[in-house]
Amino acid sequence: MRIGWTGLSAFLAAMAIVWAATITSEGQAPAAGRGQAAAPQTAAPAAGRQAAAPRPAAAAQGARTEDGRPNLNGIWQAVNTANWDVEAHQAEAGPHNDIMGAWGAQPAGMGIVEGGAIPYKPEALKKKQDNFKNRMLVKITNDPHRFDTGDPELECFRPGVPRANYMPFPFQIFQNRDQILMVYEYKGAMRTIFMDKHQDAPVDSWMGWSNGRWEGDTLVVDVTGFNGHQWLDRAGNFFSDTAHVVERWTPRGRDHMMYEATIEDPAVYTRPWKISFPIYRRLEANAQLLEFNCVPFVEEMLYTPLGLYNPPNRSSR
Amino acid sequence: MRNRMSWIPSALTAAMVVAVSMAVLLAQAPSGRTQAPSGAKKTLPQTTTSTDAAIKASEDAFKKSLELKNYTVPKKPWGEPDLSGVWLTATYTRLQRPQELGDKEFYTEEEAIAEYKKAAESDAEVDPRTVHYDWKEYAMDAWQGGATPNLRTSLIVDPKNGRLPPLTPEAQQRRAAAAAAAKQLDPMLGIKTFGNLYTRCVLGLGALPLVRGGMPGADSAAAAAGVTAEAYFFQSPGYVTIVMQSNNDVRIIPTDNRPHVQSQVRQWLGDSRGHWEGNTLVVESTNFNDPKPATHFLGATDSLSIVERFTRVGPNTMRYQYTVTDPKTWTRPWSVDATMPRVDPSMIYEFACHEQNYGLINVVTGTQIRFREGVRDLRGNGAPE
Repeated sequence: MRIGWTGLSAFLAAMAIVWAATITSEGQAPAAGRGQAAAPQTAAPAAGRQAAAPRPAAAAQGARTEDGRPNLNGIWQAVNTANWDVEAHQAEAGPHNDIMGAWGAQPAGMGIVEGGAIPYKPEALKKKQDNFKNRMLVKITNDPHRFDTGDPELECFRPGVPRANYMPFPFQIFQNRDQILMVYEYKGAMRTIFMDKHQDAPVDSWMGWSNGRWEGDTLVVDVTGFNGHQWLDRAGNFFSDTAHVVERWTPRGRDHMMYEATIEDPAVYTRPWKISFPIYRRLEANAQLLEFNCVPFVEEMLYTPLGLYNPPNRSSR
Repeated sequence: MRNRMSWIPSALTAAMVVAVSMAVLLAQAPSGRTQAPSGAKKTLPQTTTSTDAAIKASEDAFKKSLELKNYTVPKKPWGEPDLSGVWLTATYTRLQRPQELGDKEFYTEEEAIAEYKKAAESDAEVDPRTVHYDWKEYAMDAWQGGATPNLRTSLIVDPKNGRLPPLTPEAQQRRAAAAAAAKQLDPMLGIKTFGNLYTRCVLGLGALPLVRGGMPGADSAAAAAGVTAEAYFFQSPGYVTIVMQSNNDVRIIPTDNRPHVQSQVRQWLGDSRGHWEGNTLVVESTNFNDPKPATHFLGATDSLSIVERFTRVGPNTMRYQYTVTDPKTWTRPWSVDATMPRVDPSMIYEFACHEQNYGLINVVTGTQIRFREGVRDLRGNGAPE
């Protein structure tokens, strides 16, 4: 495993470029998460949390980390329906409403795509439409054709970035100066954001390779090295293995931040395009990521057609 | 000569199990562009290509760790002891002490090194008649990863004889019933009987507890070999988070003494709660699920509770102790005292196991065929104990 590391490349030149005082308009408006100005807004909820769950390290509570960066430590969640469709969409019955009723229905949403529509190339738009038609067509083969159809989420595959950030599950940020760890409740998927040692992706992956830097109070993350199997939602929106995602995480208060991602993929889109939405802190005193290990939930669907699933009524022994 | 696959009943099945290992490996290099790592080619360090060099390096690291008496643990900026980094869970030390050693708790330094040498050399050696896939070729043998010698003759330090305590009558019955059921399996039965939690990619190898003992007697051949045995400790204020290389299993451990989740919330890796006792992180895990027909560690049930103690005793050495209690399985609690060496670099790779689990299809299909052909002893092939 460690062998893979021999592919260490030099730091990205971008690492050297630091915009010392760049503060985005989003960051500026509420002045939150930025020193004194934030204090009056945050004192009350912070005190409330402390009473409910005292923490040994005051550092967990502050608006800033020891090195003066916005403190993103905590459990967060987007509140939107982009996981069904990143573009605007109406409510629809679910794919198996004969048995799933309202449980399986799709909630409506305004979409998170700036300008409304994803700028697909014509042939890519066709692929998106095919994806949608085949979103529940699952064919488990022992070769990469298993990725030809079916929403990866349906099959309990890793969601990729940015999709992981707007799935209807919480995720947790663990922040250090050199690395930031993000763990998503869905599947327990994780990614490390390298703040110090930037390198090209040593290998393709589902969650991509993340190199991060601070631009003022905005965490900017360059994500590349995707394997090309990611979907953006259940509607079949997608990108390829040449995708380049640039995320911008900007605190707008102690308990919420704006998230933006620019998605560039010349193989699929006519131009780079952008999504944006707010992400909120989970304020419950006992907030905690729980397991969503979905592998056992999908085995019957995946392996029954191959005659390989052990039916529950015969497995009790 | 040690045969890594000796627990598998036939060469055919061995090939299929190898397919799973390959799937797991391939998960490291997902399909699409199978690009070589960028950057200049670098020669592999000698410790991953030469057993002698690795044994010498481990010996040096071991002796150095014995010299450290007054080590001061570095602190994180917010004041907690710094446990961060990647710690290796692979070891050649057996979980249980060999019977012939009786109450001998420690080797001499020379004996410990000799034991390590013996294990590493037999690990490196493979039997071409039965082995279809040699982990050494992928630098995945424990001696290549940085496993070090150990003065202890077994990981278990309590009971005194270094062995697991007797099973409860209930656990004995469970084991007998499972063995009887295995003899009557319907050959069409599938992944839940012929696969196991690891081959199904439900869990990786050894997230809890982390160090389970080397071969022989490890709970799977892959664990014995120390494959993907890296545990990445990420520390942030109020949390220690452990991400395993194997299956990228994640354990989030809050260290603020908050109460456990309610008893009806059961999880594969339980619910972990930590607190600091001086320089030691103490973690208690409960709320394990009831994963029938598979089991938890060594046949444990949902009444399992594990208390772990992590103490950094040197820049590159973590002492790792744990106590296992499961009144439905063992007649008394038992305890382990182990060490984990630190390895570089401080990161892990994505391990998308389930996404590309091509091997499971082959393993289960092949086992069904073998079963129809009359092979009934499928123990060790994923069939329940």
